[in-house]
Amino acid sequence: MKIAVCVKQVPDSWAEKKLRDGDSLLDRDSVEAVLNELDEYAIEEALQITEAQGGGEVVIVTMGPERAGEAVRKALSMGADSGIHLVDAGLAGSDAAATSYALAKLLEGRGFDLIMFGSESTDARMSVVPSMVAERLGLPQLTFANKVEVSGGTVTIDRVGDNGIETISAATPAVLGMIERSNEPRYPSFKGIMAAKKKPVETVSAADAGIDMSAVGSAGSWSQVNSFAARPPKAAGVVVQDEGAGGVAIAEFLDAQKVL
Amino acid sequence: MDVLVMIVAAIVTVIAVGLFVRTVVGFVRQFRVGKSINRTDKPAVRTLTLLKEVFLATRLKQKPVGPIVAASHLIVLIAFGVLFFTLVTAYGQLVNPDFALPLIGHWPPFSYLIEILSWLMVLAILILIGVRVTRRPNPQEPRKSRFFGSTMWQAYYVEITILAIGIFVIALRAAEYARGSVQGEEFINSNFPLTGWIGQNWTGLSLEALATLIMLLAFGKILVSMAWFVTVAMTPTMGVAWHRFLAFFNVWFQRNANGKPALGQLEPIRYDGVALDFEKLDDFPDDIALGVTAMTDFSWKALLDFSTCTECGRCQSQCPAWNTEKPLSPKLFTIAMRNHAHAISPWMTATEEERANLDPALIELAEKPLVGDDGVIADDILWSCTTCGACVNQCPVDIAHIDHIVDIRRSQVLVQSEFPTELNGLFKNVENKGNPWGMNASGRNDWISEVDFDVKVFGMNGEDTIPEDIDYLFWVGCAGAYEDRAKRTTKNVAELMNIAGVSFMVLGEGETCTGDPARRAGNEFLFQMQAAQNIEVLNEIKATKIVVTCPHCLNALKREYPQLGGNYEVVHHTELLNDLVKAGRLTPVNKIDQTVTYHDPCYLGRHNQVYNPPRELIGATADSFVEMDRNRDKSFCCGAGGARMWMEEKLGTRINQTRGDEAIATGAKRIAVGCPFCSVMLNDAVNTRQQEEGRAVGVEVVDVSTLLLNAAKS
Repeated sequence: MKIAVCVKQVPDSWAEKKLRDGDSLLDRDSVEAVLNELDEYAIEEALQITEAQGGGEVVIVTMGPERAGEAVRKALSMGADSGIHLVDAGLAGSDAAATSYALAKLLEGRGFDLIMFGSESTDARMSVVPSMVAERLGLPQLTFANKVEVSGGTVTIDRVGDNGIETISAATPAVLGMIERSNEPRYPSFKGIMAAKKKPVETVSAADAGIDMSAVGSAGSWSQVNSFAARPPKAAGVVVQDEGAGGVAIAEFLDAQKVL
Repeated sequence: MDVLVMIVAAIVTVIAVGLFVRTVVGFVRQFRVGKSINRTDKPAVRTLTLLKEVFLATRLKQKPVGPIVAASHLIVLIAFGVLFFTLVTAYGQLVNPDFALPLIGHWPPFSYLIEILSWLMVLAILILIGVRVTRRPNPQEPRKSRFFGSTMWQAYYVEITILAIGIFVIALRAAEYARGSVQGEEFINSNFPLTGWIGQNWTGLSLEALATLIMLLAFGKILVSMAWFVTVAMTPTMGVAWHRFLAFFNVWFQRNANGKPALGQLEPIRYDGVALDFEKLDDFPDDIALGVTAMTDFSWKALLDFSTCTECGRCQSQCPAWNTEKPLSPKLFTIAMRNHAHAISPWMTATEEERANLDPALIELAEKPLVGDDGVIADDILWSCTTCGACVNQCPVDIAHIDHIVDIRRSQVLVQSEFPTELNGLFKNVENKGNPWGMNASGRNDWISEVDFDVKVFGMNGEDTIPEDIDYLFWVGCAGAYEDRAKRTTKNVAELMNIAGVSFMVLGEGETCTGDPARRAGNEFLFQMQAAQNIEVLNEIKATKIVVTCPHCLNALKREYPQLGGNYEVVHHTELLNDLVKAGRLTPVNKIDQTVTYHDPCYLGRHNQVYNPPRELIGATADSFVEMDRNRDKSFCCGAGGARMWMEEKLGTRINQTRGDEAIATGAKRIAVGCPFCSVMLNDAVNTRQQEEGRAVGVEVVDVSTLLLNAAKS
């Protein structure tokens, strides 16, 4: 079984992030870049599937600047076999739709049985790229997957939704989006880190992948950022000293806010 | 008959000596398989240390076993050596009943020495046998005995041999006296002070009968001695016998030439005997073996350690894991390693080509993993260790248990990826967030907004080195920045320094985990990444004097960073505060009127020998102080060391509860600590008891600094 795991290098999820004034894009240079945490669950699941089947191939796929190669190495150190890295300056600023187009072009024709994603990236948090890629490739999508079972040409998942858990299945090839409850991603062993240095990573340009440059990048994206502003600092709250009339004060406050 | 006896004695002796030499050669060959490690620095100091440890019994006389056993052991140790002369005499007596050693044989000082030592040895070995019999594992609570798991027959056999030798020497000398007396020899008057009285009973025997008696006694003595040599030669795992020879070497080759226990810093990770620098990762060979995966990965000193273990169980009696019903005992660990090493010794000492031709059963045994369900030791044994150092501190033959356990952990983490899953989170948090809790770096200065005085943060005024007028860099530590109880300590110490006029600066977001928990968990790679980052910062800003509130930070900064090029003067806050009180810069005005007890954190006490400053501080701030039974270097771990803070405690009873109960039992209302982890662990223990009606009422766990601040402010 040949599995692609699409990963993204994101700024440290918990660091304070800023948008750049000029192009309204995320300032990625000022914060540490890490492998999107949610992607680790997809990598782990892919590794477990191939381990259970006693063979197969896990290919890490990413789109991003030069430095995103670090995220691929990290994924390879967990045990994946090889990487594909789509690098092109023209891709910068792509929104979810444009990204899904680029990824679909990159993935098509490579014969993957499963294409796996973390259910969202911790920077953009759109949660739509897996579905969009599935749509563009005309493949079934199994998103918000918890438990995954692969047998023969069928993949079955527990889809965790707001109202309950659905068990759904689809014929492979299919696209999966993994949630963070699905497994416990492994910590790369030192051996894995050493081995990762030698694993092949194919660098692909947009032209190599047959991507139409007018459909990607800031200009080619469907959504445009017109302006942005920092979230206003939290105003100080009202402190009511309870000297016997606290309840009344709260009621008056709520009334003034038109809550009551 | 004389000739027959001589022939038998000669044959037995040749066999015994031959077997013994063969086994000694086997030991040396096995040790030589071990990886290289330099243990020959300062030979004169090492020799002095050896003499001190042997003849002053500096390690052996430690509590709880104590001085009587140490004195008895010393007597046997000396006598068993000196009485070798009587074995030589015995061979002579087979040929000639009147044989005496040339020159010294009938020299009164020598005779006195032999007689005094013989009697003392008999007395001492009877004491030691008595100790072993009365302390043997009882069926109700076998684990309480330090001898649980020791091979009892071997110890009894060695002891009975010693007793028998003593009795033979006394009997032989009595017979020599009787024969000398019958022959009217002059020398009998000044050579038999303690055996002549027995010999007087035999003076009625004929010269011939006395000659036969001497010959038979000498023959018996030779047989007992040679049986011992044959037995120990056939049993290289008989630590109780082999320590007689190996302990001298093991003590001489110990980690610290000056005899300080192998605590504080860990041994660095080595490859082919050279300490590894992970910054040079790209130069490492692809198949680099990290830590200890197989017996052959241990250093020769580790193999010597294992073989030297005497199974006395002093380590076991101190071990927090063992005392809370966990499967780890430092002694049983060492025995398991030793037994496996000797079982596969022919494989270990063979070349690659020779190995292929060995017995398949031996090859299979040699391929048995060190750790795991089908391994030499179970995973739980490896991961139960808190690295508290109680075992290393106790061991009379200087075995470095912690180094070996961590070396195996290194392989489990770095090579085999087999470790408790909870550590995943710890490693990721330290690696990605720079602290074990996974908090944001931006939160490192949160405590500063909670104090009402100025705290200087490095870089806020554009400084690129620590200004001259700053006395200390205050290393806050992750716990000190993020954990509520420890944050209180941070604020206390900052306020006290502020009151005393000590100028200090903090690194704020420039600080990151020292790597201590990663190192103790076996993740040397992560430790070195953290250490390299910190050392780069500290060297760049020219940090010299550092004060910490966490003993784990103290140990890393003070003892481990020098291994990687970071040399700083590091003090624990209790040391600094005590100096300030002594200098009159802080004055406790209102002593608290409650009884205080103090829990020695392992990494402050045993690993760094800071015992008095916290006690002096408590003395200055509280009316009454009470010690727990286990204190100072015998302190009992809180359970959080060795990265156990981040692992679940699923086996046995809880270590922190055991220690908490001990503290509560002193009746003290304040349990003072000097470590953020001890604070959390003991606080949990006290809280648990307070859920029960009427228990631990009003008891509080506080940092020593809290006591001082209360006393200095009120």
